[in-house]
Amino acid sequence: MGDPLYAGGIGLTVVLVTLLKVLVTFVLLLVATMFMVWFERKIVADMQHRIGPNRAGPWGLLQTLADGTKLFFKEDLLPDRADRIVFRLAPVLAVVPAFLAFAIVPIGGNFAEGGTVSMFGRETFLQLADPPVGVLFFLAMSGIGVYGVMLAGWSSGSKYPLLGGVRATAQIVSYEAALGLSLASVILVNGTLSTHQIVAEQAGAGFGGIIPNWNLVVTGVVPAIIFLIAGTAELNRPPFDLVEAEQELVGGFNTEYSSIRFALFFLAEFMNTVTMSALVVTLFLGGPSGPVWGPEPVRTWFFPIFWFLLKLVVFLFVFVWFRGTLPRLRYDQLMDLGWKALIPLALGWFLLLGAVRVARNEGWNLVVTFGAITVVVVVAVTLLNLSLRAAQRQRLADAEVNA
Amino acid sequence: MGHYLPIVALAVLAVLFAGLSFLASRLLAPRRPTPQKSAPYESGIIPGKEPPRRFPVRFSLVAMIFIVFDIEVVFLYPWAMVHAELGLFGIVAIAIFSASVFESFLYLLSKGVLEWGPIQRVQRPHLVGAHRTAESTIRRVGLEGRDRPAEQRILVESGIASHAVEPAASAAGGH
Amino acid sequence: MEFVVFLIAGAIVVGGAIGVLAFANPVHAALSLVATLFGVAVLFVAQNAQFLAAVQVIVYAGAIVVLFLFVIMLLGVDRSDDLRVEPIVGQRPLALLAGVGVLAASLVAVLSAGGSTATRTVRSTAVAIPTEEPDVTSLGRLLFTDHVLALEITAILLTVAVVGAVVLARRPGRDEPSVEADVEAEA
Repeated sequence: MGDPLYAGGIGLTVVLVTLLKVLVTFVLLLVATMFMVWFERKIVADMQHRIGPNRAGPWGLLQTLADGTKLFFKEDLLPDRADRIVFRLAPVLAVVPAFLAFAIVPIGGNFAEGGTVSMFGRETFLQLADPPVGVLFFLAMSGIGVYGVMLAGWSSGSKYPLLGGVRATAQIVSYEAALGLSLASVILVNGTLSTHQIVAEQAGAGFGGIIPNWNLVVTGVVPAIIFLIAGTAELNRPPFDLVEAEQELVGGFNTEYSSIRFALFFLAEFMNTVTMSALVVTLFLGGPSGPVWGPEPVRTWFFPIFWFLLKLVVFLFVFVWFRGTLPRLRYDQLMDLGWKALIPLALGWFLLLGAVRVARNEGWNLVVTFGAITVVVVVAVTLLNLSLRAAQRQRLADAEVNA
Repeated sequence: MGHYLPIVALAVLAVLFAGLSFLASRLLAPRRPTPQKSAPYESGIIPGKEPPRRFPVRFSLVAMIFIVFDIEVVFLYPWAMVHAELGLFGIVAIAIFSASVFESFLYLLSKGVLEWGPIQRVQRPHLVGAHRTAESTIRRVGLEGRDRPAEQRILVESGIASHAVEPAASAAGGH
Repeated sequence: MEFVVFLIAGAIVVGGAIGVLAFANPVHAALSLVATLFGVAVLFVAQNAQFLAAVQVIVYAGAIVVLFLFVIMLLGVDRSDDLRVEPIVGQRPLALLAGVGVLAASLVAVLSAGGSTATRTVRSTAVAIPTEEPDVTSLGRLLFTDHVLALEITAILLTVAVVGAVVLARRPGRDEPSVEADVEAEA
């Protein structure tokens, strides 16, 4: 249980190894975020037949660094009507949870052999922290991250940021329920909340030795898709970027922000994108697990990190792809998708998965089990449709009364 | 406890990062506020009205419902952890629990709490039909000021303008 | 180590609680409530109740205070209450009485338990919890066996909460105005 680094008490070496890991994670996150900004701009440019950033550094790789540095030299405006304390606090509340959420992601370690690596003679996980409630820690951090957006909108004392902030909060909160429900399916099949163990559970040979033992397959694809959609909405990324819908809200919750405070919001947003991709990889695609070869350092260091980064980049691309392809949803469509489709589907799938697993464990008659499940599903869907129709009728009647 | 040591360290580092960024910005950035710059941004229009102080109940209703669903999700996690050893009893327990959740969800749906879109009104049939073409935008213009009889005839025959408008328009016209 | 954590977390909790009372601006008060809840979560972690700590942050900080902030925004922050008017007659003396009563009761509880024995009891319960099993598993086992009735009643309670929220928030026979219509009207 837990990182073996802390098994034998906390000594000087342990503290030093921890600090090293913290520093490396910190730098890695910043670099990954900068890479993501460049990656997104480059890919979107390619999709739109433009060139994209190509001046600073090779292939424009240093463009983000240049932009970030520029923002340090820009005037930091504080609007007249702003709430001074909260206005200054909001970017910090956005960026700190963004940093912390990544702490639970395993980025390496050969999970066929325990998933540990050796650092200065100490065995440790290649992830910053492995609390027993790892995935809930992520949910908690995204819950705290809401405050950054909400308070930024409120404290600006301006019309558009306020609208953007309230919209954003309602959206994030709605999709957090779907996110939590699809997460429940993963917990159900893996029987653990720790991210390290979730990856370890997925490391086996799998079905027929060909299809990997990933949760994507084990939970039956649906929770993974729900998680990806809800995650995109949680990040306020296109096609769910109503928060900063430029045409109607200027820039959304951060309209009044400038200079480095704006940069921190921007950083938090892209860092959250990286974390969300990493989490999809961890929860559904086996994290750093994959085939490994070769002698010791290559086997435990190179390949797992390589697999992890490869999968990470795939999902980063998927997020950019969404942005490049899909038109923005309307607010009612967004709410409908979250509440009327994703939440019932995620809950239903979770219960279905649980019932099937218990039935298999206890050796129940398959025909009876599936018959019962079918009946329950049909009844539930019928009731859902009836209530939706009732709501529609009610609204039409109300509209006539008012007219 | 040891698990949280790196998290605390990272949090400290993140706060330091934010603080140092503010400090650097303070040292490097110019500071020349003008009333125009520190006024609320409204795309260049001078803000004439106070920002809204009140919000539709809808938004807080979403937050309220979210609390309920969040608590329910939180109860699902312990069951997910122990479902194997509980067997049928656990299934029944969680089924009753979920039925209750689902029931409140159905209530929400049927009350239209989660309806955000505009009301789907019954479509007015006279707006849909073969006579409604791209030309029908002329309808708004009417026949006022259209002097030439040929033009009037075309408009009337194609159903774009009505006879009721015609006499007045033609009286004002060339006769 | 545990003592240091307790001191820091306790300071956050008490500081946050004082902030809730002292801040005139309701948004600032709500934020310091978040600090209090966060401190309590740290105390839970110190007692190895990790699941509870996570739930504390997710539900209280992530949902309930968000609702508070929404309601504050809904009512408008600048509407300060006139402290000279007592909304419910006799409320303030009663509140004072209740506050003193709670303080006295907790003092009696702490003092009668005695400093040293209290510490020992706490230590022994901490040891009694099996550390190799995550607390969410033991919690689940208890919740779905011994306390299953309480769980189902909780579900019904939540249903009642949903119904109550909807009934209170929606006036019957009136169409809800479109989402941003009254914001615009206000603005």
